[in-house]
Amino acid sequence: MAKRIAIVEDDPDQRANYADAISKKGYSVSAYGSRVEALSGFDAELPDLVILDIILGEEIDAGFQLCRELLAREPNLPVIFLTERIDEIDKISGLRLGAWDYLPKPITLDYLAERISSLLRINEARDKTGVQRQTNAKNIGNLSLDQDALLVSWKGQRIDLSGTEVRMLAKLVRVPGNAVSYETLMNATMQSLVTNNTINTHMRNIRKKFEKLDSNFACIKSEYGFGYRWSQ
Amino acid sequence: MLANLRSRFRGPRLGTKLALMGLALLAVPWFSYQQLVEMERLLVQGQSQAQLLTAEGISTLFNGRDDLFNDLPLNLEDFEPLYAQPLTGSIRLDAQTEDWGPPEQLQYLEFGSLDGKQDADFQMLLGERADYLYVYMRIRDQSVVYRDPEYLRLDNADHIQLNFIRADGEDGRVSLVFQPSNVVTGFAMDEQWRYAATGVADNRIQGALLPSNEEVLVEFRFPLALLGSRRYFGMTFVDVDDPVARSTTHTTRTLPSAGKESFDLVVLGTPEVRNIVQGLGYSGARILVIDNQARVRAEAGTIQTREPDAQEPSAESRISGLFSNLRPWLHQLVTGEELPSVSAQSPIEQNSVAERVIRDSLNGDPIALRSRISANQEMILAAHPIVSAETVIGTVVVEQDIDNILKFQRTSLEQVLLLSILSLVAVFVALLAFAGRLAWRIRSLRQEASAAIDHYGRLRRAELKSEVNAGDEIGDLSRSVSNMLEKLHQHNTFLESMPRTLRHEINNPLNTLSTSLQNLAEEFPGVDDSKYLASAKRGVNRIGSIVQNLADAANLEESLDAEELEAVDLDSFLRSYVSNCALAHKDTRMIYQGPDKPAIAMIADFRIEQLMDKLVDNAVDFHRKGTAVRVQLDCFPETLQISVSNRGPVMNDQVLKSAFDSMVSHRGPQNRLHFGLGLYVVRVIADHHGGVARAVNLPDGSGVAMLVQLPLAEAESGARLSAIRP
Repeated sequence: MAKRIAIVEDDPDQRANYADAISKKGYSVSAYGSRVEALSGFDAELPDLVILDIILGEEIDAGFQLCRELLAREPNLPVIFLTERIDEIDKISGLRLGAWDYLPKPITLDYLAERISSLLRINEARDKTGVQRQTNAKNIGNLSLDQDALLVSWKGQRIDLSGTEVRMLAKLVRVPGNAVSYETLMNATMQSLVTNNTINTHMRNIRKKFEKLDSNFACIKSEYGFGYRWSQ
Repeated sequence: MLANLRSRFRGPRLGTKLALMGLALLAVPWFSYQQLVEMERLLVQGQSQAQLLTAEGISTLFNGRDDLFNDLPLNLEDFEPLYAQPLTGSIRLDAQTEDWGPPEQLQYLEFGSLDGKQDADFQMLLGERADYLYVYMRIRDQSVVYRDPEYLRLDNADHIQLNFIRADGEDGRVSLVFQPSNVVTGFAMDEQWRYAATGVADNRIQGALLPSNEEVLVEFRFPLALLGSRRYFGMTFVDVDDPVARSTTHTTRTLPSAGKESFDLVVLGTPEVRNIVQGLGYSGARILVIDNQARVRAEAGTIQTREPDAQEPSAESRISGLFSNLRPWLHQLVTGEELPSVSAQSPIEQNSVAERVIRDSLNGDPIALRSRISANQEMILAAHPIVSAETVIGTVVVEQDIDNILKFQRTSLEQVLLLSILSLVAVFVALLAFAGRLAWRIRSLRQEASAAIDHYGRLRRAELKSEVNAGDEIGDLSRSVSNMLEKLHQHNTFLESMPRTLRHEINNPLNTLSTSLQNLAEEFPGVDDSKYLASAKRGVNRIGSIVQNLADAANLEESLDAEELEAVDLDSFLRSYVSNCALAHKDTRMIYQGPDKPAIAMIADFRIEQLMDKLVDNAVDFHRKGTAVRVQLDCFPETLQISVSNRGPVMNDQVLKSAFDSMVSHRGPQNRLHFGLGLYVVRVIADHHGGVARAVNLPDGSGVAMLVQLPLAEAESGARLSAIRP
């Protein structure tokens, strides 16, 4: 049975483009133009994955509100945000909505499809209470990273990172002690338009999440003018 | 040149202007003084009128009374008049003149030889008081021969012969003989002036004599009644020098010529006239009745000549002294004419005024004139003619001083000056305070208004706080400026939100475009290879990055506020940055020169990294191929200076100044991706860190350096330093 993907986007052209692209990948797509419309649709049936635009018509925070309500109903529901600004990345992180990933506009449809399939796969893996999947986890010192399941833990404690953040961290720790350039990290975001600032913002958010658990965390180091380095 | 001068001269400050306007108050004393002078004139005129009226009133008493004046012959040519002056005090018969009045006012009548040095020459004073005629004589006589009682004859000693017409019309003869007891006795004489007509002395005549050095001083009196109403009389001094021979050596007469049967005329105030006038005298005024021969016929009242007070100077008199010193100057300043001299008019001038008054009034015209009689005393002479049957038979002169007027004028002048000065000072102080307050208000308004916009032209506040509640024009100004700022703020807010709105508005169609292109490629696989699809995708990307850059720059300050500052060692930061940079810019040589010691600054490291990115990009873009881009860190006591310099074209002053402004690019048209945001971002980040950014040409003119100065963090404690990220 095809996975159900819900798209909430107020612009009809974009909505149609997303729907076309995703349905071509074999998913069943339901598209909504507003928050109220989307909620009534979710009342009927919860989808397997939701793509949310943040601004819906006049409602600036409609995407966040929808996300909150959806996660209240189904905490494990994968959510992808379509954002416009890097400060919205901050916001998503700050609200700790548990959003799984985000994509800045303009969107690359290939990336979107990739994300969807990856998130659905991860969700499946988690649902199987993944006892046997633990083996995929990579351990670097105190860090344990399972890129497939988007699971990261530090000194045995779970750290809730988004998909993008996990991919960036994975790049960073691939060869511990080596500096990783901004360019490499940009590729990891799987976005078309990324600036150093975007990377810095992501790195700061990752660092903060680690520091919340361990105030002495200092493994992510800036290589000013080049990129970042993981050293323990 | 002139325009240049005019633009430089902006006119006086507010306070100066108000102070200058305050000078207009000087018109107050000016007008006051004018009024004072006018009032003085009015008062003097009033008193003149009053005196004229008095003179006229008195003159009407005499109108038609020729009988009072015609007791004197109208023609004086036949007679030698002997004027008897009215005596004010009582006279002691002691042959002294002290009681006749001040010596300088005594007017002697002289008789005898021309030079008055011969024996028997004499000088004489005639006085009249209480119906007595007083005579005082100074006779030159080397040897006084007294009367010898052994002889019956009276003419063989020094004596004075008095001849007159008696009341009954007969000739009267009286000899005044000098008794050895220095008493003068009078005897009625026979026709030959030898023997007394009666054996007894006439006791109506009393006198005394005093022989002194070559002189005999004689003083005597007799009742006017003796002379009858016509008062013709003559006097002869008979000098006898040899006490043995006792013969007459000289005789000196008052009679015009010897042998002519005529008499001198004693001219006196007319008693009837005097009686009438006496009751009319009043204080401070003198009334004179003068006949048409200009003879004083009656007099009543006196004017006392006051000498300037010789009191020790009190504060008041010192002030009035000051005023009297100021007065002539002030008078000239205000009225433009010289104040009449303060010094008393000479007696001649006084007399000329009096003479003019008498002459004019005797010509039939009433007249009043002002005359100064001493330094601080003036009087008015008013005269009105006495008329009888169409002819002027005399005049009444009323003299009165104008002391009261002058005193009033003086005190008024003092008050005017004092009040003027006080009001000037008061108004001046008030104006000064007002101007100060006004200037202060305007200045604080100006400061607030100019602080509302920073030196980059950015709006710092949307309204003014000061003076907005003031009700006057400054309040209006403040409200209007505040209103302007508010509108400007609204407009600015609109402009600031513009890039964000723009991005939002552009991103959606862009996204539509982008996703449509992707779907298109999906749908028609052959299209994917089309170069047009590739260029369309590039165009989409470029628009995306433009919008992104604009929005980033616009949001920069906002997002900077969210950054946390950390203590970072800039030296190691820059060292690693430059070495990393060298990897990124492989074809450009990068040199770092630092102080080799920790240089701690409170910064947001990503932002300083961003700042350095922009500076290095800029330097690399402009550097001459083959030369190095140089990054240098200098430590100063308070600041750190990062300089990024490159060899290459220099900038002109205009460019140096505007290099860090928003949307200013000096790269030329071929660099379309640069919006002049790079260096603007540098400036905003430097500002945010409390520093400054500026561009300079290298001293040797070989290139350009961008300088960023950041405040040096204070010597941090060890605990704080441990927070520094390695």
